Amino acid sequence: MTANLYQPINGEIVDVVDESPTIKSFVISPEREFQFKTGQFVELTLPGEGEAPFTPSSSPAVTEKMEITIMKAGRVTARLHECSQGQAVGIRGPYGNGYPVDDFAGKQVYIVGGGVGLAPIRSLFLTLVDRIKDFKSVVCRFGARTPEDFIYKNTLFGQWQKLDGVEMKLTVDQANGDWDGNVGVVTSILDPKDVDIANSVAVVCGPPVMMKFVTINLLEYGFAPDSIYLSMEKNMSCGVGKCGHCMLGKFYVCKDGPVFTYEQIKSYPNIWD
Amino acid sequence: METVFISKLNVLLDAVAQKMELYVPRKVESHYVFERYSVDSPPEPTFNDIRVCTPVKEFLFPLRELAAVFPEPQEPEKVEPFALFGLKACDLRSMEILDKVFAEEEFEDPLYLARREKMLVIASDCTEPGESCFCSVLEGKPYAENGYDLNVSAVEDGFIVEAGSPKGRSFVSAHAELFGDVPDALLAERDERRAEAQRRLEEANARFQLDAPLKEVVQERYESDVFDEEARTCVECQACTRVCPTCHCFYLYDTKQKDYFAKMKMWDSCMRVGYAEVAGGANPRKMLGDRLRHRLMHKFAYFLDRYGIEMCVGCGRCVDAEAGDVDIRVVLKKLNDELRDKDHEVVKAKK
Repeated sequence: MTANLYQPINGEIVDVVDESPTIKSFVISPEREFQFKTGQFVELTLPGEGEAPFTPSSSPAVTEKMEITIMKAGRVTARLHECSQGQAVGIRGPYGNGYPVDDFAGKQVYIVGGGVGLAPIRSLFLTLVDRIKDFKSVVCRFGARTPEDFIYKNTLFGQWQKLDGVEMKLTVDQANGDWDGNVGVVTSILDPKDVDIANSVAVVCGPPVMMKFVTINLLEYGFAPDSIYLSMEKNMSCGVGKCGHCMLGKFYVCKDGPVFTYEQIKSYPNIWD
Repeated sequence: METVFISKLNVLLDAVAQKMELYVPRKVESHYVFERYSVDSPPEPTFNDIRVCTPVKEFLFPLRELAAVFPEPQEPEKVEPFALFGLKACDLRSMEILDKVFAEEEFEDPLYLARREKMLVIASDCTEPGESCFCSVLEGKPYAENGYDLNVSAVEDGFIVEAGSPKGRSFVSAHAELFGDVPDALLAERDERRAEAQRRLEEANARFQLDAPLKEVVQERYESDVFDEEARTCVECQACTRVCPTCHCFYLYDTKQKDYFAKMKMWDSCMRVGYAEVAGGANPRKMLGDRLRHRLMHKFAYFLDRYGIEMCVGCGRCVDAEAGDVDIRVVLKKLNDELRDKDHEVVKAKK
């Protein structure tokens, strides 16, 4: 008997962290060890309510717990936001390709993220930092709407900025309170001199409009289309390349992605919609 | 014994129905549906001249089914052997296409596979092309050459039954007493009838014949206004995808039962406006024309690239079902003519 593709394994929410006014992180303990590669995604079921795809934001080195950061955006995520510790959930996956971290070895990794797009990036960041000597450096450019909208504030404003081999700049669209950093969209803190472009890869994750303009900038700076890695957001339902919802041209984002190089998808129209 | 003769259809159907659930065609007004064959009160056997309206996917991948139960997983319901009589070459090709998706290595859908394995496929030759049949445009034939367990061809005074698989051969040898030998003259008659059906099919479809491979036609005319223009009358009824034997989009949804949770799998349609919309509101195919383009690109370019076969069999069910008069044959032909005219202009310009 073939294993049932649609059967979730059971899990439980063991902690909930308020990240921003619209974003929460859920620490989930699966009933058995759960392995994934950074950038892969899971289908998280709220029993009786629905299922939605999320990329874990935790390090794949941790297999007994998984963190998933969720923005309240639709029906299922709104119900998830009402959940607290002890809530039973289902998990299917992991699905998709994930970030090709080994291919980044010896290079500068230029990570550009915005909003809840920092969730997959956090998992990647933790993975890179674990073996930071394998990379020339990790250069981060992160943005949020306001200082309150940044997620992972504690580590983002503190510990992550001080790590060896990591260089980080933050920006907000609108400053308030005691924010003394850059104000402007994330492209305002990008500079072609940030990295040695010929020896770098770029990783972009954020709202579609941000990804679009960041990609345009990166191409102008001279990044090759196949060195720009994009995490595509689609409404993956089955996760296994059958149900059709996440099709992007000939690709199933769930199976061939969710990480694509710009080179792979540039010929399709509406990739940012 | 692979090719045999039987004079009465109900003798064959009775023998099948003794062993398993059997579904046979019944004519309702101008089209056919499948109905359960009862041995006790067998219906007058119908030899359907063209495909049954019901797409075969309904038997392999029902409109709605239970995909998973949790927190305590349940063994799926055991599938009993069943048979369909009256499947046509286009139906068999549709199963070949569905197999690519649901029997894909490493990603096998156990619900589909269980039914597929238990199914006895009894095909039959088409005798008269239907008004919407256009399989010949896709190099289809009005008779099956493979993919069946048994195939039935109507000839004068009876039927030629051919076994095409180990399952079919063992059925024929287990029921040897029902069958007679096939003289060469009857085989020749079958071939003549097949050739005649093919000729009529090609004649009926001459006006839809394309000048370039389908993939080239849709891909090269990707930017064409034809998609928007032809989608103008679409009323988004989604009948085209429901009745299509190769369309297989679905979605999973969750329900709460008395003492368990269930994940259900239900057909969906890429022609539906919210089909590709994400929770954040982005939707890559807001317009009907975009969705029609995607449907055709999926059928003739994307699926072909991925699985090496087009995701259309030319059965014409979508043409019959359309409430909004969108005719896939016409869309393809218009794209083809645009491409042909464009190529002519290029040739002229070079001169």
